[in-house]
Amino acid sequence: MKEVIAIVRMNMMNQTKKALTEAGVDAFFAHEATGRGKGFVNPQVLAGAEDGYEEAASLLGEKGKLYPKRLITIVVEDDFVDSVVESIISVNKTGKPGDGKIFILPLGDAVRVRTGESGMKSIS
Amino acid sequence: MMIMIRAIIRPEKADAVLAALMDAGFPAVTKYSVAGRGKQRGIKIGEVTYDEIPKTMLMSVIQAEDKDFVINTIMNTARTGTKGAFGDGKIFINEVECAYTISSGVKEGAEVAA
Repeated sequence: MKEVIAIVRMNMMNQTKKALTEAGVDAFFAHEATGRGKGFVNPQVLAGAEDGYEEAASLLGEKGKLYPKRLITIVVEDDFVDSVVESIISVNKTGKPGDGKIFILPLGDAVRVRTGESGMKSIS
Repeated sequence: MMIMIRAIIRPEKADAVLAALMDAGFPAVTKYSVAGRGKQRGIKIGEVTYDEIPKTMLMSVIQAEDKDFVINTIMNTARTGTKGAFGDGKIFINEVECAYTISSGVKEGAEVAA
């Protein structure tokens, strides 16, 4: 059993939901979050600053700004991890910084509250 | 190996911790608001008990060898006063098997066990 934590763009949420359903994942949990990444510089802003535009130059100092994101948590069986990751990447990839991250964490156990089932039964 | 650090801290300390992490060279962080209580069972003021205290969760995935440094950075910044106080928060560590960067599709970390 694995826990897949994905951080994606806000406006990609609908497509991501659709893609996950098509990949066979019905259950997931989403959370509003803000975050920042490695802090890559926007090439357009950098070019503007080199040309001497003051507005662009002032934007360059804005390091560490937090951007709104969506945090999705999915618990899946081990075999499903690759297909889930693939479907998230295929939908969310624009190729620009800020597309997000996916983390895979090992998960010991899960329990379904309604029936008390644990282990694989609780997520299938 | 990579690890995930999840720190529950006071909301008013979040900006200071984020700045400290940036200066320490760990810019990548995700922040979200949570509510919770700790071992002290919330705060009792007069007759009223507050057991859903607003906190901020900071999540960051880093290399395992940087663990102690990052934990110390967060702890020293998030602590109130010199000794610290109840409600300063907790830090939890998880193993991360692998991480994908969506924009490039690059995978880091160990192979996922099939």
